[in-house]
Amino acid sequence: MPATISDPLQTISEVQAAIAAGERLFLAGSRSALSQLPMGNWVGGTISYFMTGEGGLQAEDRVFVTRIPAFAINVWAEDYGPQELARIYRDAPAHGFTFIVLPAGTHVHRLFAEQAPSFDGFLMRPVVGWVTGVPVDRIGLDSPAVFNGRTGAVLEDRCAALHVQLPPNKMADLDIVNIFESADGEVARFDETGFHVSQCRIGGKPANLADYICENGISTEFPLVADYNGTSINVSFQKNDPVARTVDLFAPVFPGVDYRFAKPVEDYEGAFARQIAAEDCEPYFACNCILNYLYGHLEGKKTGCITGPITFGEIAHQLLNQTMVRLYLRDIG
Amino acid sequence: MLPDASHPVWELIATGERPLESRKPTVNLLIHSNKLSYERDQSPANVRQIAEKTHHFFSQYEVLFPAEIAQILR
Repeated sequence: MPATISDPLQTISEVQAAIAAGERLFLAGSRSALSQLPMGNWVGGTISYFMTGEGGLQAEDRVFVTRIPAFAINVWAEDYGPQELARIYRDAPAHGFTFIVLPAGTHVHRLFAEQAPSFDGFLMRPVVGWVTGVPVDRIGLDSPAVFNGRTGAVLEDRCAALHVQLPPNKMADLDIVNIFESADGEVARFDETGFHVSQCRIGGKPANLADYICENGISTEFPLVADYNGTSINVSFQKNDPVARTVDLFAPVFPGVDYRFAKPVEDYEGAFARQIAAEDCEPYFACNCILNYLYGHLEGKKTGCITGPITFGEIAHQLLNQTMVRLYLRDIG
Repeated sequence: MLPDASHPVWELIATGERPLESRKPTVNLLIHSNKLSYERDQSPANVRQIAEKTHHFFSQYEVLFPAEIAQILR
């Protein structure tokens, strides 16, 4: 079922009924909402923000439902702690895809962000999902979580996964929509992988990133952008501390990668609509970033025709920031 | 039909001597990953490993990436 057909934002009682009927589900909702669901073949994560057919909205008493198609051959839920995470791609079906959710700000989140590209099976088995969060006015007060419906576990430092094996005539295809592109500024490079940075090289010269941002009046609403062979990959700013001269990021920077500051985007709604308008089919699943929702004032506004959770980080093979992720299930014969 | 894993084209892709242009993020993540790996370790063993991984990737996703396969076959 494409993400845009019917209303995937459902009441708790509707989701309870779907689970009781044996449906296999990937869910996004508040902790309160997900806690009211029975055990079953589902995985979910905490989030209260959604792209809907009527526009972006916050809801505590609704659950965004992605139904696993009936043609899926096998579907199973697992969860992974930091010690087990490296085998997630190996556990994924040889022909299919895996949905995952990771709690924001946890060890398992950081581990996935920094090391997923080095895990065995990376890119060979599609992994798609998002980072769970809390209402923005509850950041630091409440904890993001993930749910393994098979065991009934509510987990605050584990990754929950729903592995989906597809039939031979279907194939998972991941795509991203990035409304940001690099400005024509100097290149920043970093010596170490990390979410917390200070020293770097900008334009080939040693620099402090926090100082550089302040001295050049750079808005941290817009991300750093790296060019991955023509695909723009963002790293978003969480906090610039000019006193400590440090910068916290929502995804790690990596050594050997060239980063530039992004060109400012004024009209997020229009930028998404322009990129998505050219599409000739609808995704099976999509998610978008909470920073796009907040900075782009997307409450009540549409992101093209796409619906899905609005999250604290997006995953298409690896962790992404300020990006829309889309999963297509292609017919291949 | 893809060239088999021992064909020189895969090592050319592994080292970046045969650039691949793509609009597909999955392909571009692979090429980027190859580039970083090659910059870290240019030994023949690593080049072979990257080449085999790239061959395996395109074998698996041949139907999704016809434009990229056409560049490989050129």
